[in-house]
Amino acid sequence: MPALRIDHERCTECRMCYIVCREIDINAVYVALEPLHRTEIDMQKCTYPGCTACLMYCPADGSIVEVQTGRSLVPPPPEVWQEATK
Amino acid sequence: MSDLPGKDLARELIEKSRSESRATPVEDVTQAVRRDGLDGDAAHRLLGRLWTLERMFYYIYGGWGQGLEINDFPPSIKYLFSKQIIDESTHEMLYLDALLRKGFAATQKDAFRHPSGSFMLNSALAYYVFSLRNLATYPHPIRIAALNLGPKILELGWMEGLVEAIPDHDLKGVFESQFVENRSHVNMGRRIVEEFVKEPVEAELCRWACAVAKRDYNRFLGEFSAYVLGREAPAPPAPRRQVTD
Repeated sequence: MPALRIDHERCTECRMCYIVCREIDINAVYVALEPLHRTEIDMQKCTYPGCTACLMYCPADGSIVEVQTGRSLVPPPPEVWQEATK
Repeated sequence: MSDLPGKDLARELIEKSRSESRATPVEDVTQAVRRDGLDGDAAHRLLGRLWTLERMFYYIYGGWGQGLEINDFPPSIKYLFSKQIIDESTHEMLYLDALLRKGFAATQKDAFRHPSGSFMLNSALAYYVFSLRNLATYPHPIRIAALNLGPKILELGWMEGLVEAIPDHDLKGVFESQFVENRSHVNMGRRIVEEFVKEPVEAELCRWACAVAKRDYNRFLGEFSAYVLGREAPAPPAPRRQVTD
């Protein structure tokens, strides 16, 4: 199953992904309890590719990527949808 | 750096606030947690109220930010303030994450609706928030002195005490992880006061604003502690004489 993670080399920590994920009650994006307080994605809660809201709102291209492929595409390509619906 | 104009004032405000930081109403909560632990309901009330206060900083800083545009302060002041806004939003998010993770609220909307997370006008929390927001009309170094060298130091003090007492590892982490920002805010406050508070009248205003902010913060902490412990909230202070001109 495809999953998302945040690439901290690219992420600007603007937290749009956090805001939108809270707003639609998926609550997969959280602030890590570490000194840097980076945003992370809880793969157990994330419903990608069913939801791509964080990808659509993210202003820093390529900072939210698929764990498996390293891709960051909106909307996800058809093969991802097909994989998800199997 | 020894000739910075506000150095003595910053030291004075910090030392005074530090001496008061372990004598706030939250000490009752800390003692109760040390004695009896913290049950789920009390933890919910604790996180919910602090989350509500943190949310209100968007409102306070919104007012302060306008003042920064009107007055001519150097970019360093604006940068430090924007960092402080981000930090405050981090704290708000950490509290909300904890509410959701602990199962105290299923969704953000539920957390807003719960009495612990709702903002009420007739409360000490509101009094404190409006008190800070009203500092918007003062120069930025004065209101930063009031908050960062006042309530922020009190908060760091009581939170360090509470963390020692809390048995829950996760909850402890929520508070512990905020120390970095809190210490940073105190240092920002010290830096701004040292560098930008130059005139005796400004120093007096800083002392006054800091005392007012701490008085109102302590009033909030009294209400907050009573709420967490499930006690009757302290009676509101007697109304002051109305000033007319």
